[in-house]
Amino acid sequence: MAELARRTVTVASASGLHARPAKLFVQEAVRLGVPVRIRAGERTVPANSMLGVLSLGAVQGTEVTLESDAAGAEEALDALAALLSRDLDAEEALDV
Amino acid sequence: MREDLLDPRAILLHESAADRTEAIRRCGQALVDVGAVAEPYVEAMLERERTISTYVGEGVAIPHGTAAAKEIVKHDAICVVRFPEGVDWDGERVTLCVGIAARNDGHVPLLAALADILLDPERARTLREATEVHQVIKELT
Repeated sequence: MAELARRTVTVASASGLHARPAKLFVQEAVRLGVPVRIRAGERTVPANSMLGVLSLGAVQGTEVTLESDAAGAEEALDALAALLSRDLDAEEALDV
Repeated sequence: MREDLLDPRAILLHESAADRTEAIRRCGQALVDVGAVAEPYVEAMLERERTISTYVGEGVAIPHGTAAAKEIVKHDAICVVRFPEGVDWDGERVTLCVGIAARNDGHVPLLAALADILLDPERARTLREATEVHQVIKELT
């Protein structure tokens, strides 16, 4: 088994980690296909579970930790951490 | 949880909608009716849904406006609208909508509480099958 990889990141999206930013995060976790857990406070949930991620109640500025010991963990964590550290709400205005 | 977020008048448990658009309009109207948002917010909810589905699992969707529409939110509020016959939601079947109007983070604990309920299949079923307003308030607050 690979070593446990970990990234701690602060949620950057203005609306926190729910609604659209949560969906984008979960979709990316599903797409990457690497089992990743996300922790906020006492609670740890699978990154590919929309309900799990919503249940964290993470707002802008909440510190969350991503963890995985699966193959490809480093790359997956980098991608997911990068997503969390961007303000996905601010980018929406440019989506059109 | 802030109890003022959920006005009992915004809990509608016996609605029907032909499609997702109609269901979202119903949710938006419920938020308009309790004075949480101005009319244009309803269009912003539809716009949000076109960019990304607000389906969260367990037969539940959480329609809400775009970030740009925050300015027309008068006060944070949610509505709970139940469609007992179900609504096709981009291939998923939705029987419960939790519509959201939020200017800031006031509704996040409530969303987290909702997600927590839905992660428990038994409680999720109770909420989806609720026929009385007080049942919904008891579960969510």
